[in-house]
Amino acid sequence: MHLKITIDRRTALKRLSILAAGYASAACTPARILLHCYPDDLARQPLLTEQVLRAFVITVIPGAPPDDPSLIRAYYDTYYPLARYRDFLVADLCERSRDQFRIERFDRLSPNQRTAVIHSGLDQGGTTARLYNGAIFLAQIAVFGGIYDDERGCPLIGFEGRYRGLDAVSYPDPERFLPRSSSADGNPS
Amino acid sequence: MHTVETDVLIIGTGFGGAAPALRFAEAGFRVTLIEQGPRLDPYRDFRQTQDPKYILKYIKGISGERLHLTYAEALGGRSGFYEMVSLRAPSQAFARVDHSGLRLWPSGLDRQALDPYYDIADRMLHVEQIAPHLVPKSGLVFALMMKNLGYSCERARYAVQGCVGSGFCVTGCVYGAKQSLLINYLPQAVAAGATIETDLEARVIAPVVEPYATPRGGSIQAVPYRYDVLCRKRSGGNELMRFRARILILAGGTVGTAKLLLRSRRHLPFLSEQVGRNIAFNGSVKAVGILPDHFPDGDMFAGRSHPGMISYEFLQSRGITITAAKPLPVQAVAAARLRLDGDEREPSYWGAPHVALMRRFRHRMIVLVTFGMTPPLGRLSLTPGDRPELHLDLTGDLREYYRECKELLHSILRRNGCRIVRAQFLNGEGAPLADPVFSTAHQVGSCRMADAKSRGVVDVWGEVFDYPGLFVTDGAVIPTSLAVNTSLTILVKTPSAFPPSC
Repeated sequence: MHLKITIDRRTALKRLSILAAGYASAACTPARILLHCYPDDLARQPLLTEQVLRAFVITVIPGAPPDDPSLIRAYYDTYYPLARYRDFLVADLCERSRDQFRIERFDRLSPNQRTAVIHSGLDQGGTTARLYNGAIFLAQIAVFGGIYDDERGCPLIGFEGRYRGLDAVSYPDPERFLPRSSSADGNPS
Repeated sequence: MHTVETDVLIIGTGFGGAAPALRFAEAGFRVTLIEQGPRLDPYRDFRQTQDPKYILKYIKGISGERLHLTYAEALGGRSGFYEMVSLRAPSQAFARVDHSGLRLWPSGLDRQALDPYYDIADRMLHVEQIAPHLVPKSGLVFALMMKNLGYSCERARYAVQGCVGSGFCVTGCVYGAKQSLLINYLPQAVAAGATIETDLEARVIAPVVEPYATPRGGSIQAVPYRYDVLCRKRSGGNELMRFRARILILAGGTVGTAKLLLRSRRHLPFLSEQVGRNIAFNGSVKAVGILPDHFPDGDMFAGRSHPGMISYEFLQSRGITITAAKPLPVQAVAAARLRLDGDEREPSYWGAPHVALMRRFRHRMIVLVTFGMTPPLGRLSLTPGDRPELHLDLTGDLREYYRECKELLHSILRRNGCRIVRAQFLNGEGAPLADPVFSTAHQVGSCRMADAKSRGVVDVWGEVFDYPGLFVTDGAVIPTSLAVNTSLTILVKTPSAFPPSC
């Protein structure tokens, strides 16, 4: 599958940076402009977008369940500004895959190759690094926090989500842990 | 525009507003409270979740380059979302002096003077010292670390009854165990006749009459309506409303009250130049470690949100207390990039090394925090476009304080055999912040009380200099960091406020 890119990526990024600098307080404006001129093809290939984003998240968080329906939900959640930049991120990942490994699809790279691609995005600096950084940040919040499933939490780190009264709050012999205290009631004067 | 007349108008329903509301309502005054956040039913609206949409609906923040302040916008203010720690400020806090050696607290206010009011608040909030068998595992592990080094530790005090230790205090207690203002002061004030308007933002204050012309003393009916407050509904069609009050009490918090006064300055030309200045931030410095294998599990997710133990060992010598922290995963990930000291693998803050570290987060990680009596060097201002800006004058002394606290915490960790985890703190976009940076929910100051207008905004009663009948009763009036949680002190200084003649 080939991505038909209407303008050169670096030209687009350059334009984004210039526009972003001019619209620092309304950063969505340049992104909207670019989303109309750059990753149009992705909008017509939702499955590709999803597969690339899943590959991105499991590269950032190895061990995250790749088939988890909530894995990439944050990138489609318009509460988060990154939803507006999602297709741009996917397009950039794929172009870097092609540039670095001659494979169009980021999701078809090996884990080490995907890691290298993400590194190159972060190393780019400027707006591109900000985009990659934001995408990593959002993935970590969504997955480690289990933000879309209060019941499930994040099994990967032993976070069980909502309290079920299963765990002991304390140790049965707390006194052995306690040092001397300097007050009778916890309120030193 | 609809105008509501009331005897006492209170802007803010948190720790600064709830106590005067109850006091004036019980005394028979017509009391109206305004809250810009949403109404909250503690038995219906709280959730055990990490969903930022829920959390950020109520919890807000303001960031400067070196300082980040967190506060709540909801009925009951921060009381619905805090960790329930309810401590009296230590005597040392009241003795703090400024750079010229002048005491920062007004004459006559100290721990001894406030103790009777602390007693009242303790009874109202059912404050009790945590029992040993309820101290969370992470708190016991912290206590053990201090014990190993010969340091003392106190079991902390909390406003709670029937705690189950769910660990979600900071997202609101769904069991009604937390003694937030939603289940004591506020409903009692309403029962006594007070009314509460939510989703209503106070925009600007203007005197109705020349404040000096108003008589003092006598009955409240003898006092004319003195202040108008223009408000805007935050829901629906942004409807404007006017409230007219004989007594106006500002209790919107260190940030909210300063913003409102700064915005109103053209109508209140005699306001002190100190509005927005002197923000104290409780000198919060954090350090992270991995417990050695011989240490017991410090389960980060077991028990209440606060780990139960606080050490005052270094209060006398360094002006700090030390405690542990129990962040939920989202709090940890959103706050900092973590990297095991000495681990040079890349990538460091994502990928396999980061996941390996996060897998140790629950059982093997420990977070230590200092709260310190750092000087009030923060400042809030408004841009011409009405945008608040936060500044911190990062002095050499403050840098040194930060470095020394970090060193002490790392020393405690290392001497217990812990490996240090380097934490790089982040902004709201996940980008690293400059180091050092202070973040806190314990901010006070911005409209501090003082003996003279040249040094503060309100007098010892909480009354704004040169504006009779206009009071500030929230944390904004507290002139110094307390080295402990501020909620109880904000609550207790309000019964001591208000001259009998108001």
